[in-house]
Amino acid sequence: MDALSFWDYMLILSKYALVIFSFIVIERSLRSMLSEKYDNEIWAYIRSGKERIPVYHWENLLGRSASADIRIYAPGISGVHAVLSRNDKGQWKVYDVFSRGGVWINETQAGYGGAPVHNGDTINLAGTRLGFIELEEEKIGRLEKKRSVAGSRVFPAVTLIWLTLFQGALLMQHLMSCEAEYAGRISLAFTAVIVLEWFCYTAMRMINKSGFELETLAFFMTSLGISVAASSTPEDMYKHAILVIASVFLFIILGWWLRNLRRASSMRIPFAMLALALLGLNLFAGNSIFGAKNWLTIAGYSFQPSEFVKVFYVYVGAATLDRLYVKQNLYEFVAFSAICVTALALMGDFGSALVFFICFLIISFMRSGSIATVVLAVSAAVIAGLMAVSARPYVAARFATWGHAWDDIFDKGYQQVRTMSAAAAGGLFGKGAGNGWLQSIVAANTDMVFGVVSEEQGLLIAMSSILAICAIAVFAVRSARHCRSAFYSIASCAAVTIMLSQVALNVFGSMDLLPFTGVTFPFMSRGGSSLISCWMLLAYIKGSDNRREASFVVRPAEKYSRWEDPRLQENNSGNKAGKAGKAEVKKS
Amino acid sequence: MKKLTGRAISVLLILALVLFGTGIYTVRLFEKGNDWALYFSRLNSGSSGVLHDRNGVLLAEFSRSGSFYAEDELTRKACFHILGDYEGRTGSGLISTFTEDIKDYSIFTGTTHSQDYEFTLTLDSYLNRVAYESIGEDREGCVLVCNYKTGEVLCMVSLPSTDPLYYDPDPPSGTYINKCLGAAFVPGSVFKLITSAAAIETVSNIWDRKFFCEGEGEIAGVKIACVDPHWTTDFRTALSNSCNYAFAQIAVTVGQDNMKKYVNQYGFTQRHELNGITTAAGNFETGYMGDPELAWAGIGQWTDLICPFALLRYVCAVANHGTLVEPYIIEGTEAKTEQLMKQSTADTLHEMMRFNVTDHYTDERFPGLHLAGKSGTAEVGDGTNNSWFTGFLDDEDHPYAFVVLIEKGGYGLADAGAVANSVMQAAVRSN
Repeated sequence: MDALSFWDYMLILSKYALVIFSFIVIERSLRSMLSEKYDNEIWAYIRSGKERIPVYHWENLLGRSASADIRIYAPGISGVHAVLSRNDKGQWKVYDVFSRGGVWINETQAGYGGAPVHNGDTINLAGTRLGFIELEEEKIGRLEKKRSVAGSRVFPAVTLIWLTLFQGALLMQHLMSCEAEYAGRISLAFTAVIVLEWFCYTAMRMINKSGFELETLAFFMTSLGISVAASSTPEDMYKHAILVIASVFLFIILGWWLRNLRRASSMRIPFAMLALALLGLNLFAGNSIFGAKNWLTIAGYSFQPSEFVKVFYVYVGAATLDRLYVKQNLYEFVAFSAICVTALALMGDFGSALVFFICFLIISFMRSGSIATVVLAVSAAVIAGLMAVSARPYVAARFATWGHAWDDIFDKGYQQVRTMSAAAAGGLFGKGAGNGWLQSIVAANTDMVFGVVSEEQGLLIAMSSILAICAIAVFAVRSARHCRSAFYSIASCAAVTIMLSQVALNVFGSMDLLPFTGVTFPFMSRGGSSLISCWMLLAYIKGSDNRREASFVVRPAEKYSRWEDPRLQENNSGNKAGKAGKAEVKKS
Repeated sequence: MKKLTGRAISVLLILALVLFGTGIYTVRLFEKGNDWALYFSRLNSGSSGVLHDRNGVLLAEFSRSGSFYAEDELTRKACFHILGDYEGRTGSGLISTFTEDIKDYSIFTGTTHSQDYEFTLTLDSYLNRVAYESIGEDREGCVLVCNYKTGEVLCMVSLPSTDPLYYDPDPPSGTYINKCLGAAFVPGSVFKLITSAAAIETVSNIWDRKFFCEGEGEIAGVKIACVDPHWTTDFRTALSNSCNYAFAQIAVTVGQDNMKKYVNQYGFTQRHELNGITTAAGNFETGYMGDPELAWAGIGQWTDLICPFALLRYVCAVANHGTLVEPYIIEGTEAKTEQLMKQSTADTLHEMMRFNVTDHYTDERFPGLHLAGKSGTAEVGDGTNNSWFTGFLDDEDHPYAFVVLIEKGGYGLADAGAVANSVMQAAVRSN
């Protein structure tokens, strides 16, 4: 063995450093997201006898059931009786959700379309009288100040410094291994990400937002994605850097859009149409790459519409609480989902179809709470799946290969066995960025990306990437109970479900634990559509982050009623609500 | 909201499945990581390798920028078996064998980095092409040529072959076997060379014996047939005429213990190594044989199987006065020598093999070569023949030994002998 050179030592040192940095980044993000106190916001009070019950959300279920947000024990009250909800402008409404006893506001009956309720009004639920105390802005502001601020114990800037060190070490490894002509581009891409993340952080701090864990984890995985791109297609680094910037830009745009609940929820139908149009266009004008006809080329740019449809799908699947109790809305969503999944299956993109289907299960379960619906949906999907397998021989072939990849290493098991071999070759600490061989295999940087990361950065960092997604998932579930609106809870859980399903299908597919379906790994797989859609999905999760001063997607509580003259507002929205209400009644 | 957020727990179910799968993957990685890693990584270790033939012709080159084979198709096909391929379709082959030595694996470090290397083979790719073409793609078989003084393997071809650049999903059977090293065949009459050596060493009156053959004879009531009647022969002419009946009697005289002893001693039943490639072992009945079985075994039938490489070693030793210079194929390999047989035995056999040509095959078949050899046409049992021709040049400047095997048809001298002639003519011309 030759004596080790200085650079050999640097490589070994950087491998260990990368693992340490990534663990610190994940640990700090997890600790910040899960261990810090997550206090509820208080928006109003309900007076029930002498008791004063705080109203924590914008959408609250009133009823006798244990799962009601405001639980009222009295004769005549249904398990699920009424929904008390608030809009962005601070106006409250009460909806009767098919109760037996009915709902009245100061003697006026509130129908399914809802009736406005103001400070001091009496809400009469089947004879039980409740007082409604609306909080003034000042009071809300005072209560808000009592909540714990996100990032007060684990400083996000420090986590970001560790992430920057991680990226620096990664870049150094690339510079040691890459060809000289690409050094500039690779450095530029890494620098772009580092600048971008610090820019985002500074911007967030400037608008007084301190929750940066989700972005940190996303930037962590995006950096690994850049590393994979630098190994596999170093000539494309400019493009990749631009895609990262575009993704983060769209993340901010979608986040900003979601800030206004009414604006957001009113666009569900147009977005559903857009999603169907994209799928339709893809189905008829798409081109086929690697078996699945899921690519669309417009003006020389190829992209995968199904990736963007994911973003729309989550948007369409999310719904405010009052809508959840109208069965028709769920049926419409089921029909929409069936069209999406069928369209994807027709394109031959069974991986995406499966991702959509899992997401559908979670959304429909969250909306209906019905296990029966889930069982029914799964059985229908199994039947459809069997039909697909019999109709498309290559799908059947994939199933036949599943678990036996090593029996057919030149054809059907080609990608799996190479992924496994390269991943194992990396050991715990990897070969160093740019030193792998798997990246030269077709689709290595997308469908087999977990193998590339395992080979170059080692098992520990590859596991960190799974852990990062899991951390985001746990946080989304934790946040779901604190959201102002069901819209944000559902969207966030749906978004994280898509990420988790993709991780499972990508990792286990390429490792022969599941059939190989060619699904991308969130944030890491190369490909603009996938990267953009993942960042946009992150905006939904960001929307559920209701910790004090944490997320730019969530408006600060005390600033709401400052905007406009409440009186004027009341008239306008009263009319609109009335119209919407009528339409709603007709439908149901 | 409480109702809804309770249902959000269902997301954790999917999370649990992801973690469960990750756990299974990790366990499998610890169990099988070694096999996984070495399967492809030894070829993709980040190191680079170059393989040239003895005249500097590039045969294979791999580095991070890709893996390459020889430029022309004939060379790729003719050298496919000795080189193997980057995907590991052939079990043996230098590409995979080498790289095996320079890789190591542990779960902690993964595969460890290997060194770059450049090897020159003793092989002459030109001879491989000549051998490949003279067997022809419509026939199957193999050719081995070795310098018996130095141990350098000059030619190694096996057919059917394939072009490693283009993957044939349904290749003819035997495509991925290097018949020179990785298989053993029914030897037929070439086995008489071994019976002869055993007779020379163990039967004191062998030169006085006379054999009478009317085209067939009986050993303990079992008929042993010859192609033609050989009438009266002695030991020498029995070999040159390849008289089965005579050699059946010789084998019985030598006895089964001696036969087994010499077959083992000459290395026909063991595996050998050629620069890390393990060869196939041959077979000679180990259980008790009656005289008829022993007679058949003595003329290369019964359960006899020999690997062409073992036969090459044997004729090398005969040609080199009993001293075997162990064949190798990578230049710079330290040549090991071994006294495979007594010098006197070797020289006697040498003279007899030369006599085969002068007396029977004639030098016209091998113009200018001064060749000593032995042919064989073995019955495989499925109605087809293996035709063999083995021998060496009795030529100080061109000390080459060879083995030619053509499967499924043909006759030893007419078919295998003709291939041997073309290859040896080319060898003499080019070296």
